[in-house]
Amino acid sequence: MLKSYLPALVFLVLGVGVGVAFTFANSLLGPKRPSKVKSEPYESGLPSDVRKSFRFGVSFYLVAMLFILFDIEVVFLYPIAVRLEEVGTFALIETVVFIVLLAIAFVHVWRRGALEWK
Amino acid sequence: MIELAQVVQAPKIDYQGLAPLFSTIGGSLAVLMIGLFRGRFVQRTLVPAVAALALLVAMGMTIANWEAGDSRPIIEGALAIDTLALFMSMLFYVTGLATVALSLRSDVQREVGAGEYMALLLGAISGMVVLAGAENMVTLFVGFELLSIPLYVLSAGYVRRAHSLEAGLKYLVVGSVGSATLLYGLALLYGATGSTDFRAMAIAIGDTVAVTDPLLLTGVALAATGLAFKASVAPFHQWTPDVYEGAPTPITSFMAVATKVAAFAVTLRLFDYALSDAQVQWGPALAALATVTIVIGNAGAIAQSSLKRMLAWSGVAQAGYLLAGVVVGTQLGLQATAFYLAAYLFMNVAAFAVVIACERVSEHGDGIESLRDLGRASPLLAWPMTIAMLALAGFPATAGFIGKFYLIEAVVAGDYAWLGIVIVVGSMISLVYYLRVIAVMWMGRFEVELPSFPPRRVKAVAGRSPEADARAQPEVASVAILAAAATIFFGIVPSPLFDLVSDVGTSFGGLV
Repeated sequence: MLKSYLPALVFLVLGVGVGVAFTFANSLLGPKRPSKVKSEPYESGLPSDVRKSFRFGVSFYLVAMLFILFDIEVVFLYPIAVRLEEVGTFALIETVVFIVLLAIAFVHVWRRGALEWK
Repeated sequence: MIELAQVVQAPKIDYQGLAPLFSTIGGSLAVLMIGLFRGRFVQRTLVPAVAALALLVAMGMTIANWEAGDSRPIIEGALAIDTLALFMSMLFYVTGLATVALSLRSDVQREVGAGEYMALLLGAISGMVVLAGAENMVTLFVGFELLSIPLYVLSAGYVRRAHSLEAGLKYLVVGSVGSATLLYGLALLYGATGSTDFRAMAIAIGDTVAVTDPLLLTGVALAATGLAFKASVAPFHQWTPDVYEGAPTPITSFMAVATKVAAFAVTLRLFDYALSDAQVQWGPALAALATVTIVIGNAGAIAQSSLKRMLAWSGVAQAGYLLAGVVVGTQLGLQATAFYLAAYLFMNVAAFAVVIACERVSEHGDGIESLRDLGRASPLLAWPMTIAMLALAGFPATAGFIGKFYLIEAVVAGDYAWLGIVIVVGSMISLVYYLRVIAVMWMGRFEVELPSFPPRRVKAVAGRSPEADARAQPEVASVAILAAAATIFFGIVPSPLFDLVSDVGTSFGGLV
């Protein structure tokens, strides 16, 4: 039974090994000629304007949270959509309930003005 | 390759048994949507009315489902109903109704938004109902979180007050630690017994799993710790006074009563049903916890000058009394705990209603001074408070006395007579702070020695509403009077409650 996990183990070892090898190979083999301009953070070629004390507007967090809520939850619909014939009517009804709940949350968020950028 | 199950079987669902949950969750969604409309009528009348209606419907359906005997599955392998679950659900709905009434005139509803406030409240109640009916450790945890998360938000209901935010944050952090501990314990219990199902666990313990199995005992200890956090059992009680004080008072009263009932409902089911065969192992440990809780709770309450803090410490002590009923693991213990939970509901709701009525008009806020001379100013509030205090202390002719009597009978019959003595001694200590409240209300001419702690800074809320007068809050006063009347009624005529409780005792078939 444990034997069936062997490919997963090989995959894991290969993945970690290749990742580590490439990370260090670059800094070991590559030529290094640092200059002040090169070591600046890259920002579309323009001189960087961001300071350490830069503060994000709180709206970013709100949008990020709403994104997780509505975008990620929709991912749950894919497995059901693919196998709907096997899982039957009960799962379909459950999915509809799920969507209705999401819709109620969406209406609430919308009406409360969380989608407006402030 | 692993074969995928070709056809997913829909679980068997008993929709009649599930109906109360549909009502509370549906009500929660409905008030959330209704609350989006502005207007005084919608915000102050319609939303609370719909919330109360959802609770009443759930109550009606719960009564219709009442049937003594072993548990019947609602959703195969996840939720079940038995009289214990139904009885506890009734307590949640009653507390919920009281909370809706107590919040009617509270400014926290305006601050959070009436729709959100009631939706969160009904969400927490749904979680409690799930928790009380859980037949499986996974359902247990889902219910546990569904009850906790709305309460974290509600305790921080006064978004613009540091006190309330502090309470919410503390509750969140401590509650998460408690949840994590509980989850760890449940995982170990699963590891030891090989099942998440309570019935299968009960069969496995003592049969395929030895009661001294270290994995099992570690799991029991961690699960007990997690539940002790929620039930504010010492030494996991430190959050209680701060959170109770900072949270909006209607929410405090809801937390003090409903959360405790929920925590004990699940403790009873986990320990007296799933783990009942290991009672010789966990019994002494829980008995020690109960003793510590009774001593610490009563000692802590003496020095409090804030009524909410005092009631929080008193709630810690009461958790100790209740835990004594779980320790013995007998049918009598189960009945006594259920009886005391009902009595506890009435006593505490009465006390908190009076605190709410007084803190809204007094410049002392929830300080004990706010009750000074209440006996003359407003006897209709002073009497319920007096009855509540006497009942919490366990005076005869109140439900508190019968409840304690029943608990002591159960622990003595269960060979824990010394725990009965601890309960009696604890009640004697508790007279110090319960009687002080009564003295402040009625003995205005005499100086009552109050805790000599520096007075807390209290912002008067009275200036905000012109009708602010203790007597101008009929709904708060009637909650106080009804709860106090129930306390007295079940103290003199306990037989209706006894009948219900003896039905509850039949829930776990195998108990002696």
